[in-house]
Amino acid sequence: MNDPQNESGAYALNALGEAERRDFEAAMRESEQLRDEVTELTDTAVELGMSVPAVEPPASLRASILDAVASTPQLPPVADTGAPAGADTPAGAEPGPAELKARSRWSGSLVRIASVAAAVVLIAALGLTVRAGLQAQSDLTTASQINQIQAASDSAHQTVDISGGGTATVVWSLELQRAAVLIDGIKGLPAGSTYELWYMDDAGSATPAGTFEPAEDGRRSIVLSGVMNAGDTIGVTVEPAGGSPAPTGEPIFVVETA
Amino acid sequence: MLSTVTRNRDEEVDGSTPLVTSEDLLARVAQGDREAFAELYDRTASRVFGLVKRLLRDHAQSEEVTQEIFLEIWQNAPRYEPSKGGAISWMLTMTHRRAVDRIRSAQASHDRDTRIGIRDYSPGFDTVAEDVEVLIESERVKIAMGRLTELQRQAVTLAYFGGYSHSEVSAMLKVPIGTVKTRLRDGMIRLRDELGVTS
Repeated sequence: MNDPQNESGAYALNALGEAERRDFEAAMRESEQLRDEVTELTDTAVELGMSVPAVEPPASLRASILDAVASTPQLPPVADTGAPAGADTPAGAEPGPAELKARSRWSGSLVRIASVAAAVVLIAALGLTVRAGLQAQSDLTTASQINQIQAASDSAHQTVDISGGGTATVVWSLELQRAAVLIDGIKGLPAGSTYELWYMDDAGSATPAGTFEPAEDGRRSIVLSGVMNAGDTIGVTVEPAGGSPAPTGEPIFVVETA
Repeated sequence: MLSTVTRNRDEEVDGSTPLVTSEDLLARVAQGDREAFAELYDRTASRVFGLVKRLLRDHAQSEEVTQEIFLEIWQNAPRYEPSKGGAISWMLTMTHRRAVDRIRSAQASHDRDTRIGIRDYSPGFDTVAEDVEVLIESERVKIAMGRLTELQRQAVTLAYFGGYSHSEVSAMLKVPIGTVKTRLRDGMIRLRDELGVTS
């Protein structure tokens, strides 16, 4: 039904949905022709971008960026971005410039890779490592969201011990009304149970904010679902598999954001 | 500075050859050269910020996203290879995607909250198109856009300058999604040919 070729324009214009974008990138792996077309259409989109009037950003932004760069590590030059098997050059065939360029753009997804990197930087800054907790595609989104929360002008974070072992760092922004939890060293769960996240308001009323299972190494990063409100307390309880509408046990940690 | 931003690859706006190209700067940034990064920022920030602001409209969010983009440029510079495309191309491609990512994630998480600013008011097609008419600086791009069919131009305009997804474009123009995709592709191919873009 979905002919990938028909989506090259939408892809170059970033108009595809997230799942479609992934499917399209998979299709690109299989087709040099598609990669070449996307490269050209992406360059064409850049022409559109160049036609937008420039706007001088405030000087404070320059200072802030240069400041941030001073403490931000760079990625290694090796492009270990998981170059797709399908993009491999057949033996004896040298890739032409267009092919090289297309491949580099393709394996591109640079932005999303960078989001992960940025989240890893944040986490490193917080004294944690969640690289292991960032699995595959859905976690790219998680990393990007955590990155946004951390980049918010009112971003705050707090690290607490988890009862039973491990630490939890909660990052939040009331401006974005979002929060994320970075877990390290949490213990595994008995079968039939899950960890559940909660927003608890001033009045003590709890709103479910998602469930999670720890990775084998006890690390996990999760963006809470729902909306965070001023004064909310964020906590986690152990609940029956599937989660509960209201907490049934004592929290293993809470963070007061007020 | 606008006057020093490269328009096409290495070609300066005024046609002169720059002493140091943006590609050269990016290569130095890849070595961790913060001075080169500062210079690259000075050359390109107004371009990046202008495009982000065009898409997000909200000033504070535009600053945030611009900061994220430049940090990503810094982080990814070691992976940039000049032989594979111009520095400005690389940066503006990243810019558009990041700005659109922000629009989408704001929409996903803040549908009930309009305080955030993004899409507080959702500009309809007329607004986007009118703005584009007035705001496109490049005569070349204006002429190329003029060669598209009305339907192609609407779809491309909403997607690129409005940051709308194909399903939003589909709803706004009241045509099926498949048709939007076809228009976007045909429109971009036409633009590519009109602008003489080759890989």
